Amino acid sequence: MNNIVYLLVQLLVILLVAPFVNGLIKKVKALSQKRKGASVFQMYFDLYKLVKKKTVVSNVSSWIFHVTPYIVFATAMAAALLVPVSTKILPPQIPGDFIMVVSILALGRFFLMIAALDTASTFGGMGSSREAMISALIEPSILISMFTVALISRSTSLPQIMETVQKVGIPLAHPVYIMVGLALLIIILAETCRIPVDDPATHLELTMVHEAMILEYSGRHLALLEYGAAVKQLVFMTLFVNILIPQDQLIGVIGLGALILSLLIYLLKVILLALVMGIIEVNTVKLKLFSIPNLAALSFILAFLGVLQFLILGGKHV
Amino acid sequence: MSNLAVNSNLLETLSVLILLSSFVLMASKRINSYIKTFRIQSFLIALAAGIMGLRSLISEGRWDFLVVCLLIMIFKVLYIPNMLSKTYKNVSYKVEKDFILNIPILVLLCCGLVVFSYFTLTGVDGLSQDVLNLQLVNAVSVIWIGLLFMISRKKAIGQIIGFLVIENGLYITAMYSTQEMPFIVDLGIFIDLLTFVLIMGVMTFRINEKFESIDTDQLNNLKG
Amino acid sequence: MEQYLRNLFLMSVLLYVLGAAASALIYFFKKPYKTSMTGSVMVNAVCIVASGLGGAASAAKILLAVNSLKLINLSSTIPFISLEMNLDNLSAYFVLALSVLVFCVSLYSIGYLSHYNGKRNIGLFNLLYTLFILAMIGVLTSANTVCFYIFWEAMSLLSYFLVVFESEKEENTKAGTVYIVMTHIATALLLIGFIIIYSYTKSFALSANTAAIPGMAKNIVFILFLIGFGTKAGIIPLHIWLPHAHPAAPSNVSALMSGIMIKTAIYGLVRFVLCYLGVQNTWWGVVILILGILSAVLGVAYTSMEHNVKRLLAFCSVENIGIILIGLGVSFIAFALHHQIIGSLALTAALLHTFNHTLFKGGLFLGAGAIQYATHTKNIEDLGGLIKTMPLTALFFLCFSLAISAIVPFNGFISEWLTYQSLFASILPGHIGLNFLAVLAAAALALTGAMAAAAFVKLFGISFLGLPRSEQAAKAQDVPATMMIGMGILAALCLGIGLFPLTMIKLLDKVVFSVGGGSISGQLRGGFLLAYYPLTISVNSISPLTFMLALGVIILLAFIVIRIVGGKYIERRYGTWDCGFEALNSRTQYSATGFSKPIKIVFRALFRPIRKTIVEGDSQYHPEAIIYSTTVTSIFEDYLYEPVYRALLRFSRRTKFRVQTGSIHNYLFYIFALVLLLMLYNRFA
Repeated sequence: MNNIVYLLVQLLVILLVAPFVNGLIKKVKALSQKRKGASVFQMYFDLYKLVKKKTVVSNVSSWIFHVTPYIVFATAMAAALLVPVSTKILPPQIPGDFIMVVSILALGRFFLMIAALDTASTFGGMGSSREAMISALIEPSILISMFTVALISRSTSLPQIMETVQKVGIPLAHPVYIMVGLALLIIILAETCRIPVDDPATHLELTMVHEAMILEYSGRHLALLEYGAAVKQLVFMTLFVNILIPQDQLIGVIGLGALILSLLIYLLKVILLALVMGIIEVNTVKLKLFSIPNLAALSFILAFLGVLQFLILGGKHV
Repeated sequence: MSNLAVNSNLLETLSVLILLSSFVLMASKRINSYIKTFRIQSFLIALAAGIMGLRSLISEGRWDFLVVCLLIMIFKVLYIPNMLSKTYKNVSYKVEKDFILNIPILVLLCCGLVVFSYFTLTGVDGLSQDVLNLQLVNAVSVIWIGLLFMISRKKAIGQIIGFLVIENGLYITAMYSTQEMPFIVDLGIFIDLLTFVLIMGVMTFRINEKFESIDTDQLNNLKG
Repeated sequence: MEQYLRNLFLMSVLLYVLGAAASALIYFFKKPYKTSMTGSVMVNAVCIVASGLGGAASAAKILLAVNSLKLINLSSTIPFISLEMNLDNLSAYFVLALSVLVFCVSLYSIGYLSHYNGKRNIGLFNLLYTLFILAMIGVLTSANTVCFYIFWEAMSLLSYFLVVFESEKEENTKAGTVYIVMTHIATALLLIGFIIIYSYTKSFALSANTAAIPGMAKNIVFILFLIGFGTKAGIIPLHIWLPHAHPAAPSNVSALMSGIMIKTAIYGLVRFVLCYLGVQNTWWGVVILILGILSAVLGVAYTSMEHNVKRLLAFCSVENIGIILIGLGVSFIAFALHHQIIGSLALTAALLHTFNHTLFKGGLFLGAGAIQYATHTKNIEDLGGLIKTMPLTALFFLCFSLAISAIVPFNGFISEWLTYQSLFASILPGHIGLNFLAVLAAAALALTGAMAAAAFVKLFGISFLGLPRSEQAAKAQDVPATMMIGMGILAALCLGIGLFPLTMIKLLDKVVFSVGGGSISGQLRGGFLLAYYPLTISVNSISPLTFMLALGVIILLAFIVIRIVGGKYIERRYGTWDCGFEALNSRTQYSATGFSKPIKIVFRALFRPIRKTIVEGDSQYHPEAIIYSTTVTSIFEDYLYEPVYRALLRFSRRTKFRVQTGSIHNYLFYIFALVLLLMLYNRFA
């Protein structure tokens, strides 16, 4: 029973909120440029339109090209199932931890990268090659920052980590969490192809990474890829908000009311983070490609300092 | 961490942020961001001193920490950075261009320094885990990083900032390890520092005027 | 029961011997092509049966028998020379890995060898091949160090002959030379280690009590073993033979060499250091852990730079040995600190990765062989679009690539997950230096995984996808069915272990229990084959099968929803977007060099890339052709081996004039002086 409720809540929340978050960030950018901008719900319409459209497929491509959108979307969703949006409805055991989440997302990315090479397009190759570099550089800091919070709760399972955070009080005022939080913020920007690393708004050769990889896609395939990217973004954001700003200690009782309240607070946090991300994107410039290693090194150092603080504190577990 | 008092947790966080600010300092290139970062770092230290001061005021009724906090605010947060900004405006050099090593490696070295100071401090007799918990490691690392900063920067303002960071490090080391500092020693350090900044400020200006650069390598030319 | 298993195992060994004898006959009588081909099929069939029997016997031994099986015990009148072979759990585990691989490789060879069609004596090849397998079985089951040494040497020599089998190419003989020199230095060090041990224990038996060896001697022996086995395993900086030897050898042999031969070194380390000497110092583990981190990171860095399929895979073996050594290092540290559970967990991770690497690296080499068989090239810059002409090979290759990049739901992920868990568990309050090392190892592992994925995206994407970059690639045809089945079984095993990790881990748990005395079975929950039960270590669990089910359900749901919302799928085939230039061809695609360039630039301090641009034509401004080439400096060869090599050369040249004068009288004098010195030594010592 618990399992089913958990699954349903996860699926619904992630599926419904993900495009909205994307719209919100776009709105923030538009407003900052004194534009009215598209509605925050624009992505839902876009997805619907894309699904309706006919699909153009390159005549060079193979079956890899066709299966990739499904795999990318499904891996993002499967990863989303392992990152609880609220700790009020945890099933007894979740069959995966953060290492698994990273690996699942790697599966999606692997297919995306080879699909980009499948069409013999130069743009695809370029995006794929850049993505390979960026992911290689950012992976250690993801692992180390999650490793750090996992060490505090003595478990690599995400629900466990999120439950531990409830006992910390204010994680943002905790020496370890604050470092991890900063590292995670950089990771989110890199993983979701946001501005210092990539520019989601353009198809220019100079900036494109993610957009170049999906350049050949159209119709329902594109819809799945866009949706998958939005879900992946929300997964990382959920990870961030539920580790750095836990909500459930505020609500003591277990039950439907508490669950809804907890989800509402979760939504609020996500909106807040989306605003922050939008503001960051407006206020930073796109780094040149070979400055990204410095950014990755920065996030790695932050995560490493987090581990250090944990060890300096004597390896205390909560 | 629930069993620890919130303000102790806050002090820990502040010490991490102070450490982080010295990393930021090491990673920055612009001279005005040196000054800005130094200002922030000093502000964080003042905050830490303020928290300690409040605690000692409540528990023991002593006020000298609060005075220290005030002094830091006045001198390190306001006066010295302002003065440096003035000097900065007078010299033509705005962005540091040559370092002994490139910045990512320097920052990684800083990381190594933190590990190193942790590694060495745990072996020191008489330092219990409790003292270490009070973020002595971070404080000592700040000193090291300040020194490395002085080594890596060639321009005079960099040297001044580096020196100030070392002083900041020394100060928080003392503050965190003993939880109090003789007031008079504190004042002594302050006066020292002020003199140093004044002299260096004037000197930098003069060096710039004389050599049309504030590169301290130029001082080599002074030898007979 | 034990008697029965023993006979089963001996039968498999006997079959290998038979195979060897048959191939020897074919070789010596130089039968015409057709008969020798039939013979070769027969020999390979015998190997398949033998490996099946051997594998079954080993698996049954681990699961059923408690005591180690005494296979052969022949003593001779010459002191110390006795043929003793035992099959305990550890040996059985490695023999199992060997058998699985030999089974698939032999199947594969049936098809693969046909390309030696009249060019080479297949009898000779099969003879060397079967003897090589026998030598490896000997290494894994030897019960005394003399035996071990002899088989080890035989294994090295036979693999050398196999490396230089295609000796018509000059680079192959050169590769062979590098290999034989490195491997002999290693063997010499092992021999010294064995003799030091003997001088204290007065016994060559592996069951001898080593308590009598003083600590200092143990340290020396450990270092000798580390270098000796490390060379065979290919840990950095002793790896230089791997990227030479693997491309030179025929692909089925490289599969065996990379799949299992380099693992005999891991066996050696576990057998001799953990079981025989006993880990006494923490620093042993620390050294292994640091070497593991280095090998993993540098190995994967060089992997991403290679464009020769087999050289790429060779560097990748270095990386995977690094991952295995990380697990091994953690387990040695934990055993030295008497944390039995953590030690067992780490050892499980290391041994599982050994097995997994056998499967997917063997498979990858077979795949590389299939590419070479179909296109006659190893350079991926000449490939492309093979997925259309070789669909099944491409599918298997994709599976192996995913497995080696530690991606769910394949087996590579399981062992890396266990390694992460052991690193995670090994972070305990108090051990400051070790904790940092564990964190760094975790970071290195993450970097390795992502870089390996990048390298295999390149390998798979450039060689199988896009447009063919050369004539041969365009005309490629899929390989014979036997080759496909060989690869298919390995791919299925990769997926199988990935989905049902508990099967393998329960088996492995018995091995680890008999080696380290600790068991993680208390940490394991759930049934044997039941997928619902996730793999659980303390409170952390993963369940790849659940993930696969979820993946399937989500894909199905997405498919249905899109079908309902969007209606029927209508596809229009059209050319790739070419910005309106209409000039897209195979030359405008991204090349492998271009693909790996960002990584090359980021790590330029390590690679020290050299680029050359040659402009051909009358003038620089009217080029007829521009030849651009870029290479990566191999810093270990240039900065570590090259100076040593030059110094040796200088020294030899000098001795040629001073010592090796060529005068008989001088040589007689040397003998005279030496005997005199020996007599003196005998008098005083």
